[in-house]
Amino acid sequence: MNAAPVLRAVSGGALGADRGRLALAVAAIALGVALGYAIHTVNRTAVAEFSTGVATLAGRADLVIRGPADGFDEAIYPRIARTAGVAVASPVVEADARLPGRTESLRLIGVDAFRAAAVTPALVGESDAALDLLEPDRVFLAPAAAAWLGLADGATLALQSGTGIVEFVVAGRVGAPAGRRLAVVDIAALQDAFGRRGRLTRIDVRIAPGAPPAGVRAAIAAALPPGVVVSAPDEEADIAARMTRAYRVNLDVLALVALFTGSLLVFTTQALSVARRRTSFALLRTLGLPRNRLAAIVAAEGAAIGAAGGVAGVAIGHALALALTRIVGADLGAGFFRGTAPMPAFSAGWALAYVGAGTAAAIAGAWLPAREAARAAPAAALKAGDDESAYARLARPWPGLACLAGALGLVGLPPVDGLPLAGYAAIALLLVGTLLLRPRLARGVLASVPRPRRVVAALALDSLRAAPAQAGVSLAAIVAAVALAVSMAIMVASFRTSLADWLDRVLPADVYLRAGGASSTAWIDAEARAALAGLPGVRRATFLRSVSIVPVAGDAPVTLLARDLDPARAGDALVLVDEGPLPAAGATPAWISEAWADRTGAKPGDTFELPLAGRRARFGVAGVFRDYARQTGAIVVERTDYGRLTGDDRASDAALWLAPGASAADVRAAIEARFGDGRLTVATAGEVRAVSLAIFDRTFAVTWVLEAAAIGIGLAGLSASFGALSLARRREFGVLRHLGMTRGELGAMLAWEGALVGGAGLSIGAALGGLIAVILVHVVNRQSFRWSMDLHLPAAELAAFGLAMVALAALTARASARRATATDAVAAVKDDW
Amino acid sequence: MIELVQVARRWPGPPPRPLFDGVSLTVARGELVAIVGESGSGKSTLLNLIAGLDTPDRGRVLVDGADLARLDDDARTRLRRERLGFVFQAFHVLPYLTVGQNVALPLALAGIGDTGTRVHAALAAVGLADRAHSRPRELSGGELQRVAIARALVHEPAVVLADEPTGNLDPRTATTVLALFGDVTRRRGAATVMATHSRAAARIADRVLALTPDGLVPADAQ
Amino acid sequence: MNPLRRRLLIAAPMSLVAARARARVDYPPVAAPLELAFPRDHGSHPAFRTEWWYATGWTRDEDGVERGVQVTFFRNRPGIAERSQSAFAPRELLFAHAAVADPAVGRLVHDQRAARAGFGLAQASTATTDVRIDDWTFALDGDTYVAHVPAREFTLALRYRATQAVLLQGTGGVSRKGPRPAQTSAYYSRPHLAIEGTITSDGRRRRVRGVAWLDHEWSSDYLADQASGWDWIGVPLDDGGALMAYRIRDPGGGTYWAGGAIRDAAGTTRILGPDGVEFRPGRRWRSPRTGVDYPVAFVVRTGDLEVTLDPLMDDQELDARASVGIVYWEGAVVARVAGRAIGRGYLELAGYARPLRL
Repeated sequence: MNAAPVLRAVSGGALGADRGRLALAVAAIALGVALGYAIHTVNRTAVAEFSTGVATLAGRADLVIRGPADGFDEAIYPRIARTAGVAVASPVVEADARLPGRTESLRLIGVDAFRAAAVTPALVGESDAALDLLEPDRVFLAPAAAAWLGLADGATLALQSGTGIVEFVVAGRVGAPAGRRLAVVDIAALQDAFGRRGRLTRIDVRIAPGAPPAGVRAAIAAALPPGVVVSAPDEEADIAARMTRAYRVNLDVLALVALFTGSLLVFTTQALSVARRRTSFALLRTLGLPRNRLAAIVAAEGAAIGAAGGVAGVAIGHALALALTRIVGADLGAGFFRGTAPMPAFSAGWALAYVGAGTAAAIAGAWLPAREAARAAPAAALKAGDDESAYARLARPWPGLACLAGALGLVGLPPVDGLPLAGYAAIALLLVGTLLLRPRLARGVLASVPRPRRVVAALALDSLRAAPAQAGVSLAAIVAAVALAVSMAIMVASFRTSLADWLDRVLPADVYLRAGGASSTAWIDAEARAALAGLPGVRRATFLRSVSIVPVAGDAPVTLLARDLDPARAGDALVLVDEGPLPAAGATPAWISEAWADRTGAKPGDTFELPLAGRRARFGVAGVFRDYARQTGAIVVERTDYGRLTGDDRASDAALWLAPGASAADVRAAIEARFGDGRLTVATAGEVRAVSLAIFDRTFAVTWVLEAAAIGIGLAGLSASFGALSLARRREFGVLRHLGMTRGELGAMLAWEGALVGGAGLSIGAALGGLIAVILVHVVNRQSFRWSMDLHLPAAELAAFGLAMVALAALTARASARRATATDAVAAVKDDW
Repeated sequence: MIELVQVARRWPGPPPRPLFDGVSLTVARGELVAIVGESGSGKSTLLNLIAGLDTPDRGRVLVDGADLARLDDDARTRLRRERLGFVFQAFHVLPYLTVGQNVALPLALAGIGDTGTRVHAALAAVGLADRAHSRPRELSGGELQRVAIARALVHEPAVVLADEPTGNLDPRTATTVLALFGDVTRRRGAATVMATHSRAAARIADRVLALTPDGLVPADAQ
Repeated sequence: MNPLRRRLLIAAPMSLVAARARARVDYPPVAAPLELAFPRDHGSHPAFRTEWWYATGWTRDEDGVERGVQVTFFRNRPGIAERSQSAFAPRELLFAHAAVADPAVGRLVHDQRAARAGFGLAQASTATTDVRIDDWTFALDGDTYVAHVPAREFTLALRYRATQAVLLQGTGGVSRKGPRPAQTSAYYSRPHLAIEGTITSDGRRRRVRGVAWLDHEWSSDYLADQASGWDWIGVPLDDGGALMAYRIRDPGGGTYWAGGAIRDAAGTTRILGPDGVEFRPGRRWRSPRTGVDYPVAFVVRTGDLEVTLDPLMDDQELDARASVGIVYWEGAVVARVAGRAIGRGYLELAGYARPLRL
């Protein structure tokens, strides 16, 4: 059988009449592919850049020795340098230099240029005056830092130390990887200027050629005190990448969802197209076209849609990735990759993969209609009759119910390698199952609507009720879109409400000050603490020291918070979710966050050890608290205990309670007067709350884009199906016009049909969305980020959304049927179809 | 009643060709006029002109005293809904409504809520009083055409138009349906115009006219 | 990465210092009388700006192959971070060079190290000669200097045993480097050190014996602004004597200052002033790597002696830009008078690539 005329006979009809709908389907696939490709590209670029940055900074280092953020004893350095098999050991001190008046800090790295030249050449400054590399007041800026600070060679750079200022002169550049905001000074200069004498934060090690790496590593590890670990540089990148993996996977899944709705639109388009061409297909089958051939051609049509959409999607996606990086940042707003600005590079392999994904999604959508086209009995199809039988096969309940049952089973499973794969699978099965049950659900929902009195509405309802499968096709995209939008809205609302509640409870004071974290060059010493407590208007002041510690080699760090708190009333300062008695003497009381409890399985009454100041300190769990600020876990201890164990007397943050009648503005002015401009970041509790929520909103801005895209695709599906169906109903419209229905009333009837379909889709989709939201809140987020949230329904939002959906559906239905209603009623009636 | 004054119409095409010219007709209430002619002579077009679904190139169309040329599309639609009844060759009974709901359609469109009695009466008049709740697919061709007749009459229109009402029926059923049609329309006092190419159908009419390009001329009923 | 970018000059910054007129430390001058007490003065003198222990020598292995060997340790007080309390403060910088001149290779095989003093990993003892940079060590044990230099392409494990008395240069060890009184260095030499040990290269360990010359010199103001470099020879004479001569060059290639010392086998030392030393450059060699032109053959008049110097091989250029930031020529040479060999020593040509600032 000659291919070309056959293809023309089968597919030609589709191209002609369905052009608009085809374009919509291509656009939907393109959108899904674009979103997925953009998110994936940005993620891939960020992680690759981060790894490259780590690798470049690591230079020729074979091993990296690290300890807690406030450093470890420098006496370890000569020990390591003398270890057999070590060619060069390069000591490094790192600090986050606070710039007075700025919120972002400059990463300051102090190196011994002689050692660094052999191990991490990227950290040796470039200057004609070589002594500048040793001068205590000279600093070398990475190009990104110089650009950010706007400083040329010879300019002065003022950095905060404690609450004072130290000045440096810019002596040249350092060739750090592009995008990193860092600066290099001599190691002695950093130790002197920022009060870090006697401490190192890192030692980069190069192994001598011929020495056994594993043996050297073991020898080094044996020489390290508790809390100081040795690892390979790419392991560091791994840890950082793993920390962000849950977030990135979340986004990838969201993008997949967009692709899924595109696939649904292809299903709708092909289903309608096949139904429309039913009779011509039947003719071809009678003339001798084999069944499988027909199915293959219909599936190939879907593939063509997918390929076209995929190619367009990759092009759009690349532009989108560039825009996203520029606007939101390479971490898509999560705040993980600060100060980096890598530009996404085009990867032919991934582009092809995503085109393939789009094609696969489209073929998946076209598969059922293709099967239907193959299965239809030619004789029955040749007789003009009602079209409902064409969709009848979609109504078998078993696959749908099986999916729902499967979803139920998966919900209880634990995470796989830190990822909530079972949760994602459950959501996918819920979606697919509901869509498979769509016609039955549609019938059920429509049956429960009371027959309205207005004739146009009644006719609309009757028409829909008589053809639930047809209605079901229109419903598919709407249900998916609504389910996704509702579930995302509920999840975000739950999260935000939980976050806001939590913020209210963890910000009991009036004014908060921050100097910097443990690696910052700014801190609050005893003198400053006394000054703060004695400021006019301040009734009470408490202080906090935050340090990041690596509990076990190769693990992600955990944050230790040393706070002024009353152990008997820890609930005043912490949002406790579980509590136990204070531990016996010998173990320091500690309160752990939910994330840490999840990671280690610890509960109140357990004891654990942490490396502090080169020794292992013993702690007893007195309670578990909820913490949204630190994903890898947090441990709270009393500040006096911490000082006793480490000798570290510095504070990073302060909380001030105001005396009655005192104003925050006055206290702020007093702080600025006492310490100088911008040395301490001061914010009222309200401001901290607002900023935190703003960060939250920014982080989740991406999800709104995806939701809007899904809704758009849902409405497009509705439009496509209504357009197609109304062409088939021309006869009916003609009769009604003859009988005296005005054009306006006809439009109103279609609007009612749209509203009913939209309403049915809304109710099914909302129920589904609610279920998905529950899974998202209690399974996916819990397992991904170890956060517990309270479910919160944004009732007003959802109601508004529902009304808008119904209204939009009505308008869409009416608009898409315009061509059919405009047709001459006369001609329609005479139509022999 | 119906009045046509020197109505002319041509077939828009392509290609355009003249259909008829100088058609004048008056149909009184209770009168049944049959219009015969070859296929393509323009019988359906003439009916559409009377219904207000089409506008003449020349001449005037008055239905129940109203000059259609003066009415806009919505007004004509309302006129159709209130004062016209239609019977099509292909029945065109809506498959997703029951028989009773189909018959009630014109009333529903006119905004009349309580249709029960009138529907029952219309169905009774065509002998299908007990089929009000049946679905169209359960009825035979003849029964469906009778439903269509009932639908055309349920709102007691002043004018009834029928386009080949027996075209899709076998001869025996056609006879029965025709007899019923003539009977009911006369009893209700409607001005009825029937376009047909069946001489048998024409026999039940009070007047039989042939449509020629130059207008209506009396035809011999055989 | 381009090693050029990793320069750490001990010389160049000094002029920049002067140019910038930044406050620097006051380095003590070397002033007479210099009361040297050994072994203490074999050690380091941290208050002075620069110091070096420079051991050059000829060796012969079991197969009779002759090679030149150079081991040098430098100390520099850059005047930076003097008030710092950090253990990393770069108050003292240490550099080392090691080179083997093997005619079979055709050019110098050398390596270098650089580090700041601290943590016991790099240090120069003040008690006696005991310098180390990581695993490169040079220490005096009684009357024997022990050098252990595991370089990149070779390893030196050599003992230099003193067989003669210390030779004080200049006036009681105060050697003039220019007309002004402050242009001095403290300088003594130890000629005729008996070399015994091993040189390991190309996977082979060779036992060697030979004769070496050690210079220990320290100064705060070595090269005048008007000077651009120097030429130096140190030759242990075959008859047991020792010959040292140097001249400070000006940018035009002429002599700014000169000096030297001749010691006979009996130990009588004659110190030469600027009139007593004349350097007449002979055959020149151009480096294919740096393009610098060196006079690798000289005739040096010391007193009445006309000494002709011929290099063991032409290419004995030492690229030390990665440590001290200079390129110079340090080569084993044969000294002849009237065609007859009188000793084997070393010739050093500094400042030919770029004017030196010290």
